[in-house]
Amino acid sequence: MSSPSSVVFRTGNIIITGRTSLEKSNQELLNSLRQNFEDAASRVTSEHLSWIEARGDTLYAPGIEEPDGLSEERTEYDITVKLFYLPGVPVSKRKNHTREALQHVLRELRVSSIDLLIISFPNISFDAEDHSPDTEPTQEEVDEWAETYQTLETLQLEGQIKRIGLSEFGVARLVKLLPRTSVKPSVDQINVRDCCVVPKPLIQFAREQKIELLTHNDCTNILPSSALQSLLQENHLAFGGFKNVDPQWVVKYTAVIQDRGVVENKGYFAMAKVDIDRT
Amino acid sequence: MGLLSLGTPLTWEEAKPHADLVRERGIEQLLNIWKKAKSKERDILLWGDEIEYLVVSYDEDSKDARLSLRQAEILKDLAHDEELRKAGGCVPSLQEISQKPGQRVPAFHAEYGRFMLEATPGAPYGGMLRDLLTVEPDMKKRRVIAKQHMTKDETPITMTSFPRLGVPGAFTQPYYPPHGPIARSIFVPDEIINPHIRFPTLTANIRSRRGSKVCINLPIFYDEKTPNPFKDPTVKYDLSDYPEDGDVRNGAAKDGHVYMDAMGFGMGSCCLQITFQAKNISEARTLYDQLCPLGPIMLALSAASPIFKGYLTDIDCRWNIISGAVDDRTEEERGLKPLNENKYVIPKSRYDSVSTYISQDPGFRPEYNDVDIHQNLPLKQKLLDGGMDEPLAKHFAHLFIRDPLVIFSESIKNYLVENNDNFENIQSTNWQHMRFKPPPSAEDAIGWRVEFRSMEVQLTDFENAAFSIFIVLLTRTILSYGLNFYVPISKVTENMETAHRRDAVLSEKFYFRKHVFPPRHANRSGKGSNTSPGGSISNTPKPVELGPVEDEYCLMTINEIMNGQSGQDGFPGLITLIESYLNSVNVDVETRCELARYLDLIKKRSNGTWETAATWIRNFVRSHPDYEKDSRVNVAVNYDLIKAAETLGNGEGKGTNLWKGLFEKR
Repeated sequence: MSSPSSVVFRTGNIIITGRTSLEKSNQELLNSLRQNFEDAASRVTSEHLSWIEARGDTLYAPGIEEPDGLSEERTEYDITVKLFYLPGVPVSKRKNHTREALQHVLRELRVSSIDLLIISFPNISFDAEDHSPDTEPTQEEVDEWAETYQTLETLQLEGQIKRIGLSEFGVARLVKLLPRTSVKPSVDQINVRDCCVVPKPLIQFAREQKIELLTHNDCTNILPSSALQSLLQENHLAFGGFKNVDPQWVVKYTAVIQDRGVVENKGYFAMAKVDIDRT
Repeated sequence: MGLLSLGTPLTWEEAKPHADLVRERGIEQLLNIWKKAKSKERDILLWGDEIEYLVVSYDEDSKDARLSLRQAEILKDLAHDEELRKAGGCVPSLQEISQKPGQRVPAFHAEYGRFMLEATPGAPYGGMLRDLLTVEPDMKKRRVIAKQHMTKDETPITMTSFPRLGVPGAFTQPYYPPHGPIARSIFVPDEIINPHIRFPTLTANIRSRRGSKVCINLPIFYDEKTPNPFKDPTVKYDLSDYPEDGDVRNGAAKDGHVYMDAMGFGMGSCCLQITFQAKNISEARTLYDQLCPLGPIMLALSAASPIFKGYLTDIDCRWNIISGAVDDRTEEERGLKPLNENKYVIPKSRYDSVSTYISQDPGFRPEYNDVDIHQNLPLKQKLLDGGMDEPLAKHFAHLFIRDPLVIFSESIKNYLVENNDNFENIQSTNWQHMRFKPPPSAEDAIGWRVEFRSMEVQLTDFENAAFSIFIVLLTRTILSYGLNFYVPISKVTENMETAHRRDAVLSEKFYFRKHVFPPRHANRSGKGSNTSPGGSISNTPKPVELGPVEDEYCLMTINEIMNGQSGQDGFPGLITLIESYLNSVNVDVETRCELARYLDLIKKRSNGTWETAATWIRNFVRSHPDYEKDSRVNVAVNYDLIKAAETLGNGEGKGTNLWKGLFEKR
């Protein structure tokens, strides 16, 4: 028999652990998860004990002990979190997912708030090299974004996040979403690759709206279920009974010491629904 | 450049008896600063560059480009500029500087050569990535301001060495005959030396201490019509005004080489230096060590000086010329005679590569300090007794084997332990490729700093900005990832030699570390990177087995070091590492695109798409219609070369083809 569970996968601080961080974020995520699984497994003293920990309805891989947090005063840091909503996950779940993902980051860094939360919607991309005008978003899409965005506004009001960021939003998308917001986004993150062709209208619009255009190097589908599934299969011992792996969200966090430009902590959490075969 | 105290300088014979006193006081001053400043914490990143210019003077009638000797007048003019004065002033040695917030007037300084000018940003750059975009405009502004205070025939150029310094005939404006009493050079007049009393004294005292003139031999670049074997025809063997005139009769000038005999040949070269403030002493020590192996790599990559004394040579960079030009070691110290008067045989000049690492990072292995260095042991003991740790005490005890070269009688009388003049006397006449700089005083707001000193100045401010920014980004990447570039220090010295060879950037290989990430279980300052559920899991990481040091490094091309090796396990490349760092921080679109231009220059210099300034200059000469294929850079070729350097320096050669080969136009 099998029962559905939530599993939270975590990488720990990957900034000082090596080559994984040289790849695109999807590879970086998979490689650093793999590395963290191996490290956790190598630390288990007895073969009968698992390094996967159950807390309530949720499994943690690896388990979470009291994290170290940051080494200096909170005010020294600029903490950015990027939340990837994944394709196929109902929009209605995003509210809970957002809070959940943020809680994991706050606990990992031992802070009570972050400076910037950037959200990434599934299935939209922004191609700086593409000169064709942004495609007009459908009403349904806009409704979805606006609904999700409200969660961020609430978090901002609660003081858990200072600034809100969007990603992959061209002018057409911004024009539709902005009237539906009460707290304006401070940031729009776009993928600029090697070349520096950012459409002039976007630069102009962002300037008018006081939205900072930031760059990123993430890919559109950060964690396809097939990729996670095969990663888990590599660790048959730990994840042998995991079936129908269905990733729900991925969150990336970075803590940078502002005045020195030094990245002190960077990592990911990913949450997936799985059926666990207990036979 | 060090502080210019005024007073009565002592000749070498007068100074010698005070050497021990100056050293002892220097160590006392150092200990005083170290004790109070070692716990300084959380200083922010501030950094600055120093760019040196040659001031050239054209004679349009004879189509000649010579060195202007009007440094002092130009500085005076800069100091008197009403607008600059209102904005806070720009010549620290001549006026009180008070920078108003938001206004950043560049600062101008004198240098050794009376034909040189040094400029720095008026205030240091900050630690935000956006601040990097102010570097190139600041450099451009300096050039414009400098030019405004010169005559219409004069211009500042950023060329590492003046091609015709020391040729027979006129190469300065006005002309002075060579062979003055200070340098006693066959080739250059004493009038090329900054007349501030410190510099002639330094020049004379190096010569006196050494017991002969300095001696530099550069291999000639044999071209089609170069006489072979080449015997430097400009050497005069029959002079007898000074005892040092005998140097050449005793074989100072080697066959096949261009011979030079004065400090001005070295200290008249222009460099691009970068200084960073670290958050604390320990981070400064880390950066010192980690940038150390990069010194020779960046020297080869920034190579810009193939011509000396009117000849194309077979080397591409200045470093060893300066090294020889200030080499004050006696024959005994150079190992030519058994030790009698002197204490040590010293393998290197005062100006040379670093000989000892100083950090206490977990990545350091004692094997990396594989060169036995002389130390001033009694002074080292004082540092140890004062509480300083062994590696740092060793570093300073090594610097303090040198004699003070210039002592002012006033500074002997007016000694204060709270000052740093005695310390700086030794510290700032040890010109190694990295410099570890304590705060100027125990009370100072300035923190612990590290200076990166090996790079040659580039022809344009775009390139100078690119090299500066590359180094700054590299330090941020090193600190973020905890990178480890250690190779045995003897390999750094070897690399430094390699870096000089013609076209080393493309044709030579350098010792470089293969795996630069810390071991997987490494912690950042005692903080665990991996957490684990309690009870079932052991918290002690497995001890890492260290293999032989020889397995940690291999020979790599500069292209591999910068752009990476192929293969799963290959070195990722410094550019890749920096880009990965940039992907981990918030960068706005404009900044990212500008930084991409700078990184692209480094990338393409490394892979040969674009030429180093050295190659470009060499090609310019060799393809000039007036070049006679005999290695000589004559008046006509020099004139056009200097004009080209000027055109490139002002607006990157816009409207010409000059930039072709060097970089891509925006």
